[in-house]
Amino acid sequence: MTRKMSRAWLTKLLAGAGGLLAAALSLGYSLYEQREADMIPQVEAATPVEAGRWKVSVSRSTIDAAMPNGARISPGKKAIVAEMMLENISAESSNLYGNLIKLANVHDASKPQYYLKRDRAILWDLHPRMPEAVTAVWEVPATLSLPTVLRLRIEGAIFKPRDNLYAAPGWFPSGSVAEVALPLKVGIEP
Amino acid sequence: MTRPAPMVLTIVPVAALLAALQATTPPYAMLTGPIRTTGHQTETVLSTTFGVKVHRVLKAGTIAYTRFGRAVQLQTSGVWIVVSAELRAFQETMPVRAATLIGASGRSYRQSRRAGEAPGILSAKVVQPGLPTTGIFVFELPDDETLGMKLVLSEQYDPQLKDEIGVFLEDDGTASRDRLEIGKDGV
Repeated sequence: MTRKMSRAWLTKLLAGAGGLLAAALSLGYSLYEQREADMIPQVEAATPVEAGRWKVSVSRSTIDAAMPNGARISPGKKAIVAEMMLENISAESSNLYGNLIKLANVHDASKPQYYLKRDRAILWDLHPRMPEAVTAVWEVPATLSLPTVLRLRIEGAIFKPRDNLYAAPGWFPSGSVAEVALPLKVGIEP
Repeated sequence: MTRPAPMVLTIVPVAALLAALQATTPPYAMLTGPIRTTGHQTETVLSTTFGVKVHRVLKAGTIAYTRFGRAVQLQTSGVWIVVSAELRAFQETMPVRAATLIGASGRSYRQSRRAGEAPGILSAKVVQPGLPTTGIFVFELPDDETLGMKLVLSEQYDPQLKDEIGVFLEDDGTASRDRLEIGKDGV
């Protein structure tokens, strides 16, 4: 009688301990995953970063008073200019680099305008296996106080051979890949 | 009460058949994709709505032309490919805006927008039925991609249920030169 009771008690104890262990493991794993997702790898300036469709290495950033093609900036604005090497590592020509780089510590910046250094003109398509020196320009209000160190976040993309809507191939955002910190030098003062 | 053996014998083949049908259903993108016609550079390739005859394929390190009286010179990290061709439309007035070169590695290179203002660019023209239109397409690609190229033309990029013509270009017709002048009457 007593032996049977102690066995039942032991079974209950084991089941309870197992459940608690499973809950603890699951909580620990989700905390770890959350922490991993928040940590974006920091890379040095001029380090090539592969972000799915693009390979980019940002070398320097300045505050400028003119566009890289010589055009004037809209009145009441100033330009944050980042210089980089950009290569299309996908299989087809593309001009979808608008979401590649985001300013992490400047608020309300719009999408940048890209310029091709070779032509001093607006950049259109980039062709596969043909890296080019390009500049990205963000126009921000002239009154906005800017940080001394600019943090650029490089956003990745993944290729899906069949998307969920049309079963068509396409590129989809996959979160931040890397972050580059660059000293923001003042170029030509207005 | 039905017996289990015939029921299993029916359900398993039906499930297998349905799975096979699902696995082999062509995707939407393929069902609504382009209507392809392919041919060779030596012949005139005709689809239902338009046709093309490729005349020359030229390779150059630099291209030069005049725009609004100002000389323009364009360099590249690879090589310029200039394709001169004649387009015909059969049913209605149409542009041929999309031109892509598929290189040796299978990567596709759209025509260069950098040279978009050169004289005689075909994608800026409109083709009228009965009036053959000549001009050029300009591409920029790495040197080792220029063997066994295929030119793909359509009215717009990524055509859906529209004609798309592919032309295999000849390898030996592409002798490289340092500088190519694009004049008003083509190359």
